[in-house]
Amino acid sequence: MTHKIHILLVDDEASLRQPLAEYLIKQGYKVQQASDASVARSLLNAYDFDIILLDIMMPGEDGLSLCRFVTDKTDIPVIFISARTEETERIIGLELGADDYVTKPFSPRELVARIKVVLRRAEKSGTKQISTSGAAYQFSGWTLKCDKRSLIDADGLNISLSTGEYQMLLALVSRAGKVLNRDQLLDITQGREAHAFDRAVDNQISRLRRKIESDPKNPEIIKTVWGGGYVLAGEVKSL
Amino acid sequence: MIRLWPKSLVGQLLLIVALMLLLAQGVNSFLLYRGAQSQNLVEASTSAVSRIAFGQDRQASDRPMRRGAMPAQRWGRLKYSANSAVTEDMQRLPELEMRAGQAFANMGIVFSDIRVTFTRNLTTDMTGHLIGTNRRAWRDNPINRSMGDKRAPPETRGFVIISAQQADGQWISIASVVRERTPLLVRTLLFQTITIYLLMLIPLILLGRYISRPLKSLTAKAHGFQPGETEDLAEQGPPDMRELIRAFNVMSSRVSSMIKEKDVMLGAIGHDLRTPLAALRVRVENVEDDVERERMVAGIEDIDHTLDDILSLARLGRSREQSDPVDIRSLIETIVDEFTDLGHEVHYQRGDKQSALIRETLVRRALRNLIGNAILYGKAADISVEKSGNKLMINVDDDGPGIPEEKIEAMFEPFLRGEASRNRATGGSGLGLTLARAIARDHGGDIILTNREQGGLRATLVLPTG
Repeated sequence: MTHKIHILLVDDEASLRQPLAEYLIKQGYKVQQASDASVARSLLNAYDFDIILLDIMMPGEDGLSLCRFVTDKTDIPVIFISARTEETERIIGLELGADDYVTKPFSPRELVARIKVVLRRAEKSGTKQISTSGAAYQFSGWTLKCDKRSLIDADGLNISLSTGEYQMLLALVSRAGKVLNRDQLLDITQGREAHAFDRAVDNQISRLRRKIESDPKNPEIIKTVWGGGYVLAGEVKSL
Repeated sequence: MIRLWPKSLVGQLLLIVALMLLLAQGVNSFLLYRGAQSQNLVEASTSAVSRIAFGQDRQASDRPMRRGAMPAQRWGRLKYSANSAVTEDMQRLPELEMRAGQAFANMGIVFSDIRVTFTRNLTTDMTGHLIGTNRRAWRDNPINRSMGDKRAPPETRGFVIISAQQADGQWISIASVVRERTPLLVRTLLFQTITIYLLMLIPLILLGRYISRPLKSLTAKAHGFQPGETEDLAEQGPPDMRELIRAFNVMSSRVSSMIKEKDVMLGAIGHDLRTPLAALRVRVENVEDDVERERMVAGIEDIDHTLDDILSLARLGRSREQSDPVDIRSLIETIVDEFTDLGHEVHYQRGDKQSALIRETLVRRALRNLIGNAILYGKAADISVEKSGNKLMINVDDDGPGIPEEKIEAMFEPFLRGEASRNRATGGSGLGLTLARAIARDHGGDIILTNREQGGLRATLVLPTG
């Protein structure tokens, strides 16, 4: 990387914004600070940013609205920083096209790690992650609903998935028939959850198989490709 | 009887009124019956008095009695004897004796003693001296005819015997049939009672409806009370009912505004405490000493978890998450995996598919708290699922020291932990069980703690099946 990565940090709380900006600068980033959405908009016009860190709860225009503006007009990835933790809002944030989400208080090291993952993903695909807003998939009697992040079996029963398992399944289902190696799977799914880094892809897959395969030892849905990785077999209907 | 007792206000009111009416009618008919009885008795004794007076009259006059004019079967023969037909062991009727004496005195006949009694069975010596046996005579009686009573004469109930002592010491006795007139009475009373019922109960039912309809809607409103509801219940029914509804409306709006205030405050606390906490967390990275920094980070995380528990507890029941049928196996596995990833020993053997209608995020949290406790106080957690009726029981067993029986209930109190020391390093906000129980109860279930026979504690999360 020849140029320093340029971050726009939007938060109305100076007590958090300033030390965070200092920390990020120390980590080698270039940081512009905005105390509210209007300042952020003018900075967006003036500079080219690589990534935006955005607080949701701000006086005046809130973070959700600004995020909608950014994702509509630009390709700049967004990471939400919010004090709210209710699951529904987590989903709203991701629905709006934010690339990741951290809740206060967060570990600055983890934030930096996530920034790296989001940037690498944006660089590789050229575009951001596949938009999953409102989508649903049907495969082998299962239904995966993206709006509620729920997996429903043939009897209409919800199957509980961890965030990592959900990401993994979504990656496989949305790219059905395509073999994904471990690196690709890590790339697609990483960054959403703190512990995802430590967790082996194989472990995730075996847990998923336990939940959705009728015989996890002889998987019919998520198949292993020797030397290659994993592939979702069978027909997938996108709803 | 108890099963027939109505549960509604109107039902109870109606039943009580009906019972009281029935009682009043019963007393009424008893009195009427008694009246009729003595009336019959008086009638019978009057006939007997007339017969004796007639006998006396004939005895006094010189005119011989013309045969056939007074047929014996109709009038009966007077019995003349040295002893009274009313013997000492018979119960005398002083009131009738007085009436008879009065009647004789009016006719100018004087007796030295008069005895009257009532008997059900006539003694053989009196059978020939009986009047009123002719049933046609009863029907031909002008009084009965004028009443339009064409019924067959009523049955014999018993006999009145009058015995009068003449001046010479001889007794004149005669028996008279007492008729039973009650059948007519019962029918009249029945008709009366039904009429009163119809007249009283129909307006009572209408009145009851008038009262109970607003009461019902008020009950429904109170049951389904949702804070923040703005629509007032319409005031209807009688004035005191309207007053009650008005008071309820005022109260519910007050409750709503208090809860709204609480939510706003909680949101502010959540935001205003987390932001400085986040700032602190960022600044901690500047601490050079690794050990010191880790300790500070742990402290901040601890505060954050406590804050999270408090906010969850306060927000419970107002969660926007909706209930879904969830396969409990997968839910347990998800939580167990979280713990095994952190290096804890948690066992769960996947069993049959079990469904429960739950808010998944909340139940995950409750289960996480139970397993967290098991690991904190024991070394490992063992999870099993049982189904009993429409209840699903998720047992979390540990191999720790358990809890003294008398302290079990206290474990659910906020900020109380099993150990005496309140050392933060052992983890937990002290809200874990409180929150878990609140979540379980919010789902119509509960948390039950029991000491296991083989040692250790069993925490059971009870959920209704979906």
